[in-house]
Amino acid sequence: METNKKGIRKILAIRGMGQVLTVTVGLIILCIVFGVLNPTFFSNKNLGNLLRQIAPILLIGIGQSYVLITGNIDLSIGSVLGMSCMISATLMTKGISPIAAILITFVACMAVGFLNGHLVSTCSLPPFIATLGTMTIGRGIAQIVNGNYNTDSIGAAGKKFREFFYYGKTFGIYNTILIAIIVWIVFNFILSRTRTGRHIYAIGSNVDAAKLSGVSVVGTTVKVYLVSAFCSFLVGIITCATAGMGTMDSGTSYEMYAVAASVIGGVSTLGGQGILLGTVVGAAIWGVLQNGLQFAGAPVAIRNIVIGVIVVVSVLLDVIVRTGSFKRKKKA
Amino acid sequence: MEEYIVQMKNISKEFPGVKALDDVQLNLKKGEVLAFLGENGAGKSTLMKILSGIYQKDTGEIIVDGQVIEHMNPAKARELGIAIIHQELNMCSHLTVAENIFLGREKTKSGVLSEKEMRKEAKKVLNRLKIDIDPDTLVGDLAVSKQQMVEIGKALSVNARILIMDEPTSALTSAEIDELFRIINQLKSEGCGIIYISHRLEELKHITDRVIVLRDGKYIDTKEFEGLSMDEVVSLMVGREIKNKFPRVECQKGDKILEIKNLNAGKMVRNINLELYKGEIVGIAGLMGAGRTETTRAIFGVDPKDSGEIILEGQPVTIHKPEDAIRAGIVLAPEDRKKDGLCTKLSVGDNIALPNLDIICNKAGVINSKKQEQMVEKAVKDLQIKLANDNVDAGSLSGGNQQKIVVGKWLARDSKVVIFDEPTRGIDVAAKVEIYNLMNALKKNGIGVLFVSSEMPEVMGISDRIIIMCDGRITGELNTSEATQEQILKYATKFEDKSGENKGESENGN
Repeated sequence: METNKKGIRKILAIRGMGQVLTVTVGLIILCIVFGVLNPTFFSNKNLGNLLRQIAPILLIGIGQSYVLITGNIDLSIGSVLGMSCMISATLMTKGISPIAAILITFVACMAVGFLNGHLVSTCSLPPFIATLGTMTIGRGIAQIVNGNYNTDSIGAAGKKFREFFYYGKTFGIYNTILIAIIVWIVFNFILSRTRTGRHIYAIGSNVDAAKLSGVSVVGTTVKVYLVSAFCSFLVGIITCATAGMGTMDSGTSYEMYAVAASVIGGVSTLGGQGILLGTVVGAAIWGVLQNGLQFAGAPVAIRNIVIGVIVVVSVLLDVIVRTGSFKRKKKA
Repeated sequence: MEEYIVQMKNISKEFPGVKALDDVQLNLKKGEVLAFLGENGAGKSTLMKILSGIYQKDTGEIIVDGQVIEHMNPAKARELGIAIIHQELNMCSHLTVAENIFLGREKTKSGVLSEKEMRKEAKKVLNRLKIDIDPDTLVGDLAVSKQQMVEIGKALSVNARILIMDEPTSALTSAEIDELFRIINQLKSEGCGIIYISHRLEELKHITDRVIVLRDGKYIDTKEFEGLSMDEVVSLMVGREIKNKFPRVECQKGDKILEIKNLNAGKMVRNINLELYKGEIVGIAGLMGAGRTETTRAIFGVDPKDSGEIILEGQPVTIHKPEDAIRAGIVLAPEDRKKDGLCTKLSVGDNIALPNLDIICNKAGVINSKKQEQMVEKAVKDLQIKLANDNVDAGSLSGGNQQKIVVGKWLARDSKVVIFDEPTRGIDVAAKVEIYNLMNALKKNGIGVLFVSSEMPEVMGISDRIIIMCDGRITGELNTSEATQEQILKYATKFEDKSGENKGESENGN
């Protein structure tokens, strides 16, 4: 009993836990509402689909959270995703083996992350501008690789590839979901338990203090953009496997979905704050809304409006919870 | 030779267009406190940044422990045991005390952070300094003074032997300063060399062994502190004697200009009543956290009021937001100039024009650039701000000049009451006198001046009347002619007795 209590207090003491718990309550309410509206919401089939819908948002959310915690932003996520999808699909339709295609795609995507990191840290460009540039460049590359056409089906050679990344199951769970879970565990560990993770928070909290304490700001910034590019790369591959072809506009405005998932989960766009558990809840809320509203027969337009409202409200709630308890700003 | 742990010889440093340091020297002994003095812009920070490896010297020699250090960089400086405690605290407010202390050199076991071990060591360092802080507290939740202690703890945890402190007391209360000095003396006895930069000359006597003075980037002198008078120190710094540290003008007390009745705003502003007359400066004294800043903010309409009346020249005025106050003629020069007082990325001219756009814009809201130019030109001239031109960023100026702009932007319009909140914090003696002169000029022109300050000599030297606050209430009022420091302190510590419920006459003065 004693130890149990201690355990709970320890969990509550984790920074950012408050917001995560609040939105978790919101998530549960949403699930109940949709469950009542439509009993098939909780069917096995739909749950599997729902989780597969959440997985890509969670993945890019992890990448964006990393970047946001350092106080920066990555707008190139959607384009890198598109690049990843188009490059891998194009290579496979040209008869290159899936593994080689994935490796080449990986290198291309990481190059964008590397460039982002150095533009922001070494060249000290504002992250919004720097990644706005690479976002446009990335989309251009996605368009050019197959001569401004979507690719044909990746065909028989891509069957195994599709099975691994899309419809295959291991232990009865879709591989896509497993990939997201594994990636989350690894990056959550890095962020919360390693030196690199600590430096990520430090830079977002006070970059000068971090620098003066001997933290490599350039190195750490490049790392978070590489993580973000890696996550986008993975989702691009998954998108390619899902559709069985490459589409040039895949991933459009995903960078904003990633911001939404992070922010709903309590990651601050000002840096220094947030945990990846929040990103899971944020991505889940996103997925549940999409899936549930679709089930309820709401058109895309309504879904967009609802999600937009949720993003604003959740951040507003956070602001009220944090500063509203004392009406006046405390001033020494 | 052996007795010096740091020797800096013939150091010069040039920035584009400015010679920041010209053939400067500095020696530091083991176990001493060397007070490093000079006006703003004298080159103190530059020299310290060279010593800690943030800047590179152009010419000269740095010798640490008898060894010539060719290329100093921050990592090397740390290795040599040189630590700098910056004026603007450099802590990550989102991280805990322990995490901050170990930032940049975290302990890990096969890649995983060893939180427990770091927490234990952090505790050890804090205990050594006899500081009572839980290493798990978020630094952002700590008071400024405690943050500073953590920063000292951080420096010591890397075995720093050469400690540079840049204005460490500027945000501390007197009790906290005593605590800091206890720590400094302890470090001294442990053999650390401490370079102590401060503008508060009064406090030097508690810790200082020697003084070094720079002026305009040039080395002036190093002297034993004992036997040195304050006037000598000041004349070394300024290069001339300042005859009157607190200039005073006498003028006739005029009509009542401002009256505050039963002002309440949250916990820190409780039932404030005060009156202000033309031709007088009213000082508001008190300890840190007495509610003085909050009171000024409530009057100016930054923070919402719960109740109360503001009567300006006999007419009640309603102030819900700063705009209302400015329009009525009450203006505020806030405490934290970088945060609240200036748009540091805008030019000096734009800063001065900002609150006066109603004057210099035409009806359609288009700025009349000629009017702005005239206004800025006049302000710069009146305030005697030394500027290359008024297009330079406000943030690039020295503290004293920044403060003048914070004040100056309000003088361009006809205000009736000017409230100054800690106008002389962190600026040097000469700049202080200029600010006092400005306040005196306002007083002479029949403008009411409210003046919040934590420095007692200054309050007593400048104001005509002193109001003392404690715990959000006004606890006393004194005429300057009869005020003593003891009296002010007595009122400033007149806390309500919160122990026990005997609400009656429990003014035992805790």
